[in-house]
Amino acid sequence: MTAPSDPSAPLRAGYAQGASVRRVERPKNFETTAWLFMRYSGLLLIPLVWVHVLIQDVLVGVHAIDLDYVALRWATLGWRVYDIALLAFAFAHGMNGLRNVLNDYVRGTRVRRALDWLLLLGWLVISAIGAVAIVGGVQSP
Amino acid sequence: MTTLRVPLEGSLRYRGREGQWAYLLHRFTGLGTLLFLTIHILDTSTVYFAPGLYEHAIAIYRSTPFMLGEIALVFCVLYHGVNGLRVAAFDLRPAWWREDRQRSSFWWVLGLSFLLWLPAAFLMGRSLILNNFGGA
Repeated sequence: MTAPSDPSAPLRAGYAQGASVRRVERPKNFETTAWLFMRYSGLLLIPLVWVHVLIQDVLVGVHAIDLDYVALRWATLGWRVYDIALLAFAFAHGMNGLRNVLNDYVRGTRVRRALDWLLLLGWLVISAIGAVAIVGGVQSP
Repeated sequence: MTTLRVPLEGSLRYRGREGQWAYLLHRFTGLGTLLFLTIHILDTSTVYFAPGLYEHAIAIYRSTPFMLGEIALVFCVLYHGVNGLRVAAFDLRPAWWREDRQRSSFWWVLGLSFLLWLPAAFLMGRSLILNNFGGA
């Protein structure tokens, strides 16, 4: 029944039988962990980021946001925990995504390793700055 | 620069159509969101480290170009999430990784992202006009 002119026909038939689905052992290394992190943090970030954007950007809007607004929001412990979770998951997800993109284009092992360390350092420093601010809270100018 | 030129030329020569567009858009929206997120973490941190600077940062965000960027950012975040769900769903059923499903699913993802984005863009656009272009 399959048209002989369709080069993907055998592949499709194989897929239909589940024959071409390659099953491999997943090595327990850093890249596997990083891949799993991207999947799970990605799923978590959909409600986390979308709700944050909906409230702050769409409903409240940047014209209504000032120091008092941030102080009021962070007076609720739940929102601080929410923002810490956003900071931790979103920034790690993004920085690892950037690492993946760079690893696609940077061929030299040494340059790549240097970039990886730079990203790790940048991730730690900026995460720390954000975390200190959320825990420390709004100061008076 | 050959390290960059070769993959860029290859990307232009490879005409993967919808599957490739979905992948490219996923990269660009991800990188764009990360760029904003980095700046956003640092400017919000001024509420603790230099509260006097925070009002300046917010004033920049209230400018028209930044509010337009904010509307684009919302699309990036929506597309990246919807397409990420698509990729994860396809991986659960590897038999779905077929050219025809890639094609149709990309348009579904784009359409759904656009539908989610429209009401947000409307409200943000209204806020932009009312606040920056002197609504009575």
